[in-house]
Amino acid sequence: MIIRQETCVGCGRCHPYCPTQAIHFQDLKSAVDQEVCYECGCCLRAEICPVKAIEDSPHVYDYPRALRKYFSDPDATHALTGIQGRGTEESKSNDVTLRVGPGEVGIAIEVGRPNIGMDLTNIQKITRALARAGIHEIEPNNPFQDMIRDHSTGDLKPELMGERVLSAIIEILIQRDRLRHVLRTIKEVAREVDSVFCLDVYTMLQPGLTIPPEVLEIIESEGFSWRPNAKINLGLGRAWERKSA
Amino acid sequence: MTHSLHREGTINSLERDYALFIYPARGFNYKGSGPKVRRIMELLYLEAPVNMIASTLRRNLYSGVRPEEVLEGIKDGARIFCAFNNREKLKAALSGIKKLDEGISVVVSGLIDRVRGLAAEIGLNPYTINLSLGIHGRTDRLPPADIRQFTTMCGHGMVAPALVQDVIRKVKKGRLDLWEGSIILAAPCTCGIYNPHRSQEMLNDLVPLYTVNRW
Repeated sequence: MIIRQETCVGCGRCHPYCPTQAIHFQDLKSAVDQEVCYECGCCLRAEICPVKAIEDSPHVYDYPRALRKYFSDPDATHALTGIQGRGTEESKSNDVTLRVGPGEVGIAIEVGRPNIGMDLTNIQKITRALARAGIHEIEPNNPFQDMIRDHSTGDLKPELMGERVLSAIIEILIQRDRLRHVLRTIKEVAREVDSVFCLDVYTMLQPGLTIPPEVLEIIESEGFSWRPNAKINLGLGRAWERKSA
Repeated sequence: MTHSLHREGTINSLERDYALFIYPARGFNYKGSGPKVRRIMELLYLEAPVNMIASTLRRNLYSGVRPEEVLEGIKDGARIFCAFNNREKLKAALSGIKKLDEGISVVVSGLIDRVRGLAAEIGLNPYTINLSLGIHGRTDRLPPADIRQFTTMCGHGMVAPALVQDVIRKVKKGRLDLWEGSIILAAPCTCGIYNPHRSQEMLNDLVPLYTVNRW
């Protein structure tokens, strides 16, 4: 994002809207720190500027800066997934797609959330740790896939280092018996990450909204706990097309 | 990913906070989903959610957009995101959706025990659960938990901690009332699941605890 200096009146109204505090005063006008800005567009959508000085940067879609937009602006549609947002449909339509089947577990690691954001070296720390631990079952349709240069090492494309995004999600689909190994690896790499990440585990339910006890046992024994609130697919979906169609 | 499973707050506050998603699946039931989603959205309007958007027109209930505009914009693949602050209204909405039987995925985010009860009362068989295992890494860099109660209500992290503090300051100074402050906080959330009623209650609790400095 940019703030046109010739138009800005320096009222500062836009400052609190920035999720990453990239807007600051400079010579009595407001300015956007281009290193810090995620290109999320929040300041522009707020329509708070009395003189309409805020606008998209002319370079917002230049590679690799465009990744900031794709991974931070919820209104931006990523070219790879064709959907808005940073992840896939994950568990939301699982009753239709059957993506996570019996005996399987999905894991999502959303790096940068809540509130901190990250530069992409942090996500590389996690992908490298996963690769070292032999965990390669990363969701192919996640837009984050496009950042990976070498799946065997977990290295991201070098030109991306230094780019900042509000968050990106590593989605993994594994057999249930691999859950312990994956959680242990995530716990270890958490010490290296210079940001935060939210961790999700999704699984099919047993009748009566019963969470499979073996999943809960693994989560607990690896030193994690689960929050009392969760996202629950109610099982009302049906497929009437084939994926191949 | 709409971040609704990571909403923070007390159990008492989360009791009045449910996010509901209507979600056609690309490549499976996407084609022809427009009219089905529209029928579901018409039903949802009747049950008075506290916030709602259709993904084809990302303007929430408080943006001044008319229901006709939203409904007319719905096309194949459109998703609905909304928030309820009342269990009974959510129950009525889910019962209606079950009766419509459109075959589109329906997801509820909320307290697991409460959703379990709702599903049993309506006769639903929940299919998958997405559990939150919390926040990890440099948690020392996070804003305070009382501010995160607000910011985590937006599915994409668009409600800035600084905006919450700014609203608290303005309410404290008498420049905004609690509801006006809540609507300001709901505005950046383009996923339409920010619950301004809950936010109003939280502001009411929080405002006396903050002091106002010069800035």
